[in-house]
Amino acid sequence: MSLQQTLETGTTVRAPENLTMAAALNAAIRDAMVDDPTVVLFGEDVGPLGGVFRVTDGLYAEFGETRVSDSPLAEAGIVGTAIGMAMYGLRPVVEMQFDAFSYPAFQQIVSHVAKMRNRTRGKIELPIVIRIPYAGDIGGVEHHSDSSETYWAATPGLTVVSPSNPADAYSMLREAIASNDPVIFMEPKSRYWTKAELALPVQTAPLNRAVVLREGTDVSLLAYGPTVKTALATAEQGEAEGLSIEVIDLRTLSPFDDETVGASVRKTGRAAVVHEAAQFGGYGAEVAARVTERNFFYLAAPILRITGFDIPYPSPKLEEYFLPTPDRILAALSTWEWS
Amino acid sequence: MSLKVESTPNAVLAPLPLRLIDDRGNAVAESECGEFTLPSVDTLLSLYRQMVVARRFDVQVTALTRQGRLATYPSALGQEACEIAAVAALAPEDWLFPTYRDSIALLTRGVEPKDILASFRGDWHSGYDYHEHRIAPQATPLATQALHAVGLATASKLKRDTTVAVTLLGDGATSEGDAHEAFNFAAVWQAPVVFVVQNNQFAISVPLDKQMACRTIADKAIGYGMPGYYVDGNDVAAMYAVISAAMDRARTGGGPTLIEGLTYRIEAHTNSDDPTRYRDSADVDLWRSRDPIERLEKYLVAEGALTDEVRAEITAAAEDLAASTRECMTEQAVVDPLELFEHVYSTPRAALAEQRAFLAAELGGDAAASADLTEKSAR
Amino acid sequence: MSREFLLPDLGEGLTEAEIVSWLVAPGDTIEIDQAVVEVESAKSIVELPSPYGGVVASLFGEPGQVIHAGQVLLTVTDASVDAAPISAPVVDSPDPALSEGSGAVLVGYGTTESTRPVRKVAAGRFGKATAISEGTSPAAVPVAVPLAAAVPVAAAATLDPARRSPVVSPIVRRLARENGFDASMLAGSGPNDLVLRSDVQEHINSGSSTPGPTVPSSPAAETSTDSAAADSLGFDSTRTHSTGSDIRIPISGLRKVVSKRLSTSRTEIPEATIWLDVDATGLFAARDQLMQATGERFSVTALIARFVVAGLRQFPELNSSVDTASQEILQHHAINLGIAAQTSRGLMVPVIHGAHAMNTRQLRDSLTELVAHSTDGSFAPASLSGGTFTLNNFGSLGVDGSAAIINHPEAAILGIGRMIERPWVVNHELAVRTVVELSMVFDHRVCDGGTAAGFLTYVARCIENPASLLADL
Repeated sequence: MSLQQTLETGTTVRAPENLTMAAALNAAIRDAMVDDPTVVLFGEDVGPLGGVFRVTDGLYAEFGETRVSDSPLAEAGIVGTAIGMAMYGLRPVVEMQFDAFSYPAFQQIVSHVAKMRNRTRGKIELPIVIRIPYAGDIGGVEHHSDSSETYWAATPGLTVVSPSNPADAYSMLREAIASNDPVIFMEPKSRYWTKAELALPVQTAPLNRAVVLREGTDVSLLAYGPTVKTALATAEQGEAEGLSIEVIDLRTLSPFDDETVGASVRKTGRAAVVHEAAQFGGYGAEVAARVTERNFFYLAAPILRITGFDIPYPSPKLEEYFLPTPDRILAALSTWEWS
Repeated sequence: MSLKVESTPNAVLAPLPLRLIDDRGNAVAESECGEFTLPSVDTLLSLYRQMVVARRFDVQVTALTRQGRLATYPSALGQEACEIAAVAALAPEDWLFPTYRDSIALLTRGVEPKDILASFRGDWHSGYDYHEHRIAPQATPLATQALHAVGLATASKLKRDTTVAVTLLGDGATSEGDAHEAFNFAAVWQAPVVFVVQNNQFAISVPLDKQMACRTIADKAIGYGMPGYYVDGNDVAAMYAVISAAMDRARTGGGPTLIEGLTYRIEAHTNSDDPTRYRDSADVDLWRSRDPIERLEKYLVAEGALTDEVRAEITAAAEDLAASTRECMTEQAVVDPLELFEHVYSTPRAALAEQRAFLAAELGGDAAASADLTEKSAR
Repeated sequence: MSREFLLPDLGEGLTEAEIVSWLVAPGDTIEIDQAVVEVESAKSIVELPSPYGGVVASLFGEPGQVIHAGQVLLTVTDASVDAAPISAPVVDSPDPALSEGSGAVLVGYGTTESTRPVRKVAAGRFGKATAISEGTSPAAVPVAVPLAAAVPVAAAATLDPARRSPVVSPIVRRLARENGFDASMLAGSGPNDLVLRSDVQEHINSGSSTPGPTVPSSPAAETSTDSAAADSLGFDSTRTHSTGSDIRIPISGLRKVVSKRLSTSRTEIPEATIWLDVDATGLFAARDQLMQATGERFSVTALIARFVVAGLRQFPELNSSVDTASQEILQHHAINLGIAAQTSRGLMVPVIHGAHAMNTRQLRDSLTELVAHSTDGSFAPASLSGGTFTLNNFGSLGVDGSAAIINHPEAAILGIGRMIERPWVVNHELAVRTVVELSMVFDHRVCDGGTAAGFLTYVARCIENPASLLADL
């Protein structure tokens, strides 16, 4: 493939390279900014530092102060000003430095970002992307490992997605930035360092689709973000015991891909959801309810949720007891009636 | 604890607010005008006319609400000088970020009564064309729109446009974190934005001395690194002069300004509030005597600009507006339940379409039931 | 014209006020928004502006009197009328002292009653008998008859109506149901007697089993203390069939609803049937002409539906219902035409609402939509109720006529049989014509034979000679 080959987006196709998820995200923002001069990037430490996880590395140097800037330390301010910019025709991509630090922006997100289209009957749309590094498994001190996806997914008007691998990270972020709807882009920080061989630009499944990563016949194991890796490991391990697990990467939390998940569940008759966030009122509860409602007479067993406990996220030394593991998942699946 | 505003510590220590026409309708001595000059008589006459029309609208809408025909209406009676001055200072390309109390500002900038009242009647959450009038939806969560104004102004600056954003805030709103963040972002980014704080001295029932410990709201500007002005909010001449100057400064790269207009909320918070529970009617009377329209009227009459003929013409215009406001309220609200599903996402969602179909079926059942009822009652 | 100004809500929970003073008197000319009365609520005194201009006709209430939100304050007329003296307050609304409404609140209208009408729901939609149609208690679960010791122990895969094993899995339940039995009647081989899929599969595969003691499904016949080896039908349960076995199919779901409705119809309605054969050759010719003239296809059913609507306009007695409670015949204004449909779920009668206001084209389109849903029976709930007359085209089932069952609470049902070529007499000579039998069953309480025949012959005439309908356009 020629290095100079240009796709219809006008972005140059590069040679394949081994990219981390962080680098893939970086490339996605960069390519979007090259393609569309209205895309601007700001947040805390995203400028010269390149972001605490280096996701915005090099962008300040390339695009300058007018397009990439460090904001004051105020999350409501970041999201609120992004709203004003979007009203004026820009496409802001903003960062909440860590999941738990998005909470000060809660009102701006829920009362305005989510509602503006509806409030104005579509006359004002907000093509904003709010990037949030989320979830744990990085041995982080308090407040740096939360999973807030349920709050956003439960808010009508928001699109909430979470890539699990570098290719999806690139493709989904490009699509999110191009979307005219506001997108909460949840980045599983424990997977920032996972690698894949990619020839950018790459386009994977559409933003609103779940994907079957591994086919199976006995169980539909649903996961998103950081637990996709866990689910795949579970399928590997389960094979040794004769269990055939179909792994689905949900990718999009809102909207939910009823079609893909339903087809799988009707095939296997058994489903389980894995997420780090607490179980009570967690994302798995919605999945279990709607999948049951739509596929009840195909189910051989109730839908299980294997999740973190209903406690505040623990300290680094206790994290491993909290997070769902393949062992714990398989143990849960074995409680089903299998005879 | 006295409810009288005059005896609060704030008032004792505060400097005098800037004014160009005093509350007796006399032009203030030039030496006391600071860097500002009195606007021309023509300009003041125009501002006067707009205030009279605005007040007539406000009174009419309050009456409609008392008749139970609107869900609620937060009145700006007594605050006409602040509202009209802010709008009059706007150039066509500028944007206004109002609150739920600033309906007369919308009116003055050209929004039709029908479109303003759509949200207060409950047809939809907001009802006008934002890009046409360059007015953001009337914000309810306090101070949140100040950040939007800063963002829009910054975008204008990044694009090298001359658009300035003006946001209206109340005294209570300045306690919100978003106000603080907006002031800070604006000053750090040198955004072309003007913050007009209408200090009407109450946040529903909470008076100023329970809201802040500082001398004036304008004083806060120093903390952020931008200019602040403490102005007599019932003097439209002063408000107009100060706001206009601030807008010029913003437009030419001079950054943001914080302007505080000291005024008074004559009516209750909304029609269902009972102000006698938290303030003295003597205070209300005192501020009535400082009425912004009356003082300007005295000045214009003395200048010979407000002849009987002109006065009659203005009154007629105000009555016309009141009549057309009543008129548009006689039309039934047109609400389409199925529209609820239309403006949530830009791309359709299958699951939402299911919910829409569900409601459509219910409505079909309603129609059948209504037909039965009509049939039964026709017997 | 006199208009009333009602006392509006005055604030949070404040739904009454005391009249302080009247600012106007009967006979005064007032303008819109003019303050007409001072009222005091809790602590504040408020002047209320009138929403109307005109002449004050009457005032309601004396100073010092307490009035409630919703009560009339004063009336205003356009022309000057002799002023009425102040009268006692007119209580329009239910006693506000008992009201739990908030009245207007700081941020809105407050708690209000819904304006949506009460909707009709399908009878028996929960699979239970309603108080109106059945006086007896619901027969949902067959009552068990205790086994006598003399009866041999049933095999593990036996269906035992006395048994209630746990069946956790929906798919297992469905499998059993589709094969005509209740899975929970099996002895489960899972933990805690859980019925497993294998248990169900085994039972299906075996095909032969000893049925447990049979139990009549109606509780009315049940006197459970009479336990015996033989059941009430004298059936010896120890006998085993050599080949095949009886199958019990529970009457539930749609079949239950339909059964109940049909039974009610036959029980209540004294029906009579009339029928005649019609030469439909002209109808088919007319249909072809219509196609050439408009380029549009019209089904014969759509055309007949239009004739039926026209016929019901001439003979509205047949578009009615009998209200036994009030002993009245309710002639419906609207014609909501039900179209009997055989779907995979069973017999359903979706309704074309407002057929009386539709032209032929609209009727045809409504029918097409119904047909689209009729294979799987996926009709919206609203379209399954509210019918006033039913059209039953059973020609496709291969029969000519039927003494059908009226779709209670309607008064008539028109059946259309096969449309086939038959020998006919035209101009005193034998000819081959397309002939169809129309059979109509009607409620003899709503009309006599003359009316019923009049309707049927009207429809027949339209079919024979569609041009005759022009006279009624």
